[in-house]
Order: sequence, then structure tokens, then C-alpha cells
Amino acid sequence: MKKAKRFFQYDNIGYLFVLPAFLYMLIFVGYPIVDNIILSFQDVNMKTLTAAHKPFAGLANYIEIFQDPVFIKSLSNTLLFTVCCLLFQFLIGFALAIFFNQNFKISKPVRGLLMMPWMIPITVTALIFKFIFGTDVGILNNILQGLGIIKENIDWLTSTNTAMFAIVCANVWIGIPFNMILISTGLTTIPQELYESASIDGAGKIQSFFKITLPLLKPTIESVLILGFIYTFKVFDLVYVMTGGGPVNSTHMLSTYSYKLSFEMFKYSKGSAVANVLFVILLIISMFYLRMTTKGEEE
Amino acid sequence: MGDEKRITGGKNVILCIASLLVLCVLLFPLFWIIVTSLKTEQEIFQVPPTLFPHVLNTKSYAAQVETGDFNMFRSFGNSLLIAAGAMVISVILAVPASYGIAKYRFRGKKVVLLGFLVTQMLPVSVLLTPMFIMFRNIHAYNTPVAAILADATIGIPFSVLILKNYFASIPKELEEAAYIDGCNRFTAFIRVLIPIAKPGVMVCSIFSFLYAWGDLAYGMTFIIDQQKRPITAGIFNFMGQYGTKWSYLTAFAVVTIIPVALIFIFMQKYIISGMTSGAVKG
Repeated sequence: MKKAKRFFQYDNIGYLFVLPAFLYMLIFVGYPIVDNIILSFQDVNMKTLTAAHKPFAGLANYIEIFQDPVFIKSLSNTLLFTVCCLLFQFLIGFALAIFFNQNFKISKPVRGLLMMPWMIPITVTALIFKFIFGTDVGILNNILQGLGIIKENIDWLTSTNTAMFAIVCANVWIGIPFNMILISTGLTTIPQELYESASIDGAGKIQSFFKITLPLLKPTIESVLILGFIYTFKVFDLVYVMTGGGPVNSTHMLSTYSYKLSFEMFKYSKGSAVANVLFVILLIISMFYLRMTTKGEEE
Repeated sequence: MGDEKRITGGKNVILCIASLLVLCVLLFPLFWIIVTSLKTEQEIFQVPPTLFPHVLNTKSYAAQVETGDFNMFRSFGNSLLIAAGAMVISVILAVPASYGIAKYRFRGKKVVLLGFLVTQMLPVSVLLTPMFIMFRNIHAYNTPVAAILADATIGIPFSVLILKNYFASIPKELEEAAYIDGCNRFTAFIRVLIPIAKPGVMVCSIFSFLYAWGDLAYGMTFIIDQQKRPITAGIFNFMGQYGTKWSYLTAFAVVTIIPVALIFIFMQKYIISGMTSGAVKG
């Protein structure tokens, strides 16, 4: 009796509103996720792709990828790329957020304009940086030569030592606005009075920063870093267009390697297995993030 | 920090100059491709490079519109179609869903919400092959429909999560007043709530459009014919074929940025609000 009553307290008309979007996502996202898991346990190639019965392969794909040096390289590349990007985009974004938080005449419009890199299609960003890092045509080599820092042009994108640096730079350029704007928003939530009373108590700017800004900004910083990690870790377009994973696999990420396996080598199942490893890593971090942000927040 | 004291005098001037310097450095890459797209092929390779074109060359734009292996116009149109289609699906599905989540209590609501949150963090790699098989089976493969359907999966969760907050902030009294005036739940939703949540709907439309406009993975995987491909896939193709034709490539890039720049200039307040309300890039 009690249970029945509780059920009717819920307003089931809500389902009707949510149902269309939910079904859509179930068909075009939910089903593919499940299908991708199934695919990774099968042996699917060009011939068996559309066949009704695909041969079962067990764990073979996973065993194969973990013995594949390119996969291991992609995994470590993805981690290295993510950590480097996060470090620089966060530090620069943070510095700019504090700088533009000062109320000078053009602070707001200039900060607005700085959002631009984040909005541009990533394919275009990749093209721009491919151009800047070009060996003969690139302005970077021109500038470095002009300043006398280098004697000969550097093959930024076609040398295994420097290609990663170039894609990190491009991604940091995209990431700075994202970090800046989220940290700016976090800064506005800190009450001004705290700084005023701190300065009355004789605290300097640096002291206020470490004693007030940083501790109060902790939740924002955590979100920015974890969200940044998730979005950087799944990078695809940028690397695919700038280097395609090369030279000699030196910039392959999990996403680009998965794409190469599936759509260039037509080893769909192996590609799916790589994608699933990426998925599991992101899922763990996402869950961690969701638990952190929904803590104490009742829906 | 709106209530912070306005900075005036000499300090203001120094900060303004410093901020303009930051702007020049960070937006230099954009300036650089625009300038390059207006140079001749020889001038592009000139050492030292020229900061502004000596000879204004608009051929790179004209050539691609008129003839050539690649018609920029067409791929631009393809992208518009795909982005608009994905935007329409996202908004039509997300508006009622976010209202339902914000205003009603029902079983499994948390799970649904969690589902939308998690899909935002999903890598495309996981979806590509299964979608590829699915679109082949439903004969959507190699048509704009495939890209539209796939791109909408980025717009929907984003829009639901943004709009949910807009609907939740609308006071209950407004809805009740509509009921007294003879509205039922659906007419109240359409006539009263949606108009109030209009800024939110704008944010969602803009972002759903931009996500689809910038997409490369779906467009190039599900559409094979060059003539049907979106502009991002067109650029990628063009880079593979004419990797050193930088005047054409940069012109192509500039054209791709135009809609983004227009949206950015005219709707900046929506963009900042979209980015800060937990907004994230797909």
C-alpha cells in the first residue's frame, strides 16, 4: 500500500518529455557502446563486417593489442600528451584569468576575444599549426632563424623528436581559453571582502593568493583539471590532421590508432578493442569526476 | 569580480597595453592564416616572411568557388546542411527532455541524467565502427543523414544539461498561473516556459550547430563521396592532395571560420554563458 502510494507521488508525465531524447541516445549511443564491446570479442574484417554471424574471437584482440608495441606507444603518448597539455594550458589559463580579473578598461572585451581559439573547428586549428610548424614555409622556423637561435630549419612535424611538441602547442592554444574562462568564473565567486580584510590584517598580494584564492578555488581547479584531462585524453581530430599519428607512430594516440586499425587497415575488432581501452580509462575518470561534483548536491 | 574597484590612471594604461599584447600573441595564428590566404604562392615562401601581402591576391578564393578539383562552395553548403540538421534534432529533442528533468520527479531520473553526463565524455572512437555498421544497414551511409544523426548525439546531452538549469530556475508560480489561464501541461510548456527559457535555447542551438560544424570524424567516416562531404573533411582531403598549396589551404580555412566568427561576434554573451555552465567541447 505504502509502496503504491509512493509510486503515484512521482509525476510520470515527466517520462513523456524525456522519452524522445532518451530513446534517441539509446539507439545512437547506447547501442553502439554495447555493439563496440561485442565487436571487440569477435573477429570482424571487411568480409564479415555486414555478415549476420560474426566469428567469435574471445580475448584474442585484447591479448593482441597488449602485445602490440604501437598500442603501448599510443597509450604512453596519450598520457604524455595529456599531462603536458594540461600543465601548460592550466598554468597559462590561470595566469590570464587572474590578469583579466583586474577591472581595467578593456578587460572584458579582450578576454572575450581570447575565446576565439576554442571556437574554431579543430581541423582548421590543425591546419594553422601545420602551417606555422612547416619546415620551409613555417613562420616559427623563420623567427627562430631570424633570432639566431637555430642555424637550419627544423622538421617539426616530420621528425620523431619534435612532432609531439608541435601538437602539444596546438592543443594548448585551444585549451587556454577553456581554462581561463572556467577559472575566471571561479574567481568571481570569491567574496571581495575577504581580500579587503586580509589586506587590513597586513597580508600581501602573494599571501592573499596562497591563503585565500587557491584554497577557495580548489573545487574549480579540480573540475577544470579533470574535465581537461577527459577532453584532452580523447583527442582525435587535431592529431589525425596534423600528423596522422606519424612520423613512425611517434604521435599516435589511442583514438588515432584505433581509427587507423578500423578504417585504414580494416581490422575493425582490433580497433574496437583499442577504443574500449580508451573508453574504460575515461569512464573511470568520469565516474570519479561525477562523484566529486554531485557530492552534496541533491538533484 | 564586478565589485572590484575600477582601475584608473597610469596603471589602467599599462594593463590595457599588456592585455593587447597578450591578444596579439594569442590570436597571431588566426591573423597569420588570413594574411597568408591573401598572398601569392611565391610571397608565402618568401624569406623573411612579409607581415602583410605586398600583392593582394584573391585568386585563392575565386579559384575554388569557380572551378578546380574542389568546390569550396559545395562543401560549405554540405556543412551548413549537416550542422543545421543536427542543431534542429538536438534542440527539438533536448528542450522537452530538459524540461521533464527539471520540473518532474520520476523514477530513474538520476540514471537518465547520469547517462547524458557520461555521453558527453565519450570518445568518438567507441562509436565510429558500430555507427558505421548501423548506417550501412539502414542505408544512411554516404548521405548527409548519417552525419546529421551522429552529430546530434553531441548536441543533445550538452543541450539537456544546459537547459535543465534554465527550466529549473523558472518559478513554479509562473507555470501555475498558466494553468489557471486554461493551459494544460503541454500548452503551458510551449506557450509559457519555452519563451522564458529562450536564452537557454539560443545557447543550445549555437553550440549544437558549432559542434556539428567542427566535426571531422563523423563526416569523413560516414560520408565517402567528396561532393557530399562537409567542409572539414574537404580541408583534410585537400591537405592530403595539395599539401603545399598554402594559399588555397589557408583560404579554405578562412572560409570555414567565417560562420564561427559571425556567431562569435553577434552572440558572444551566449557563448560565454554556454562555456561556463559546465560547458565542454565534444
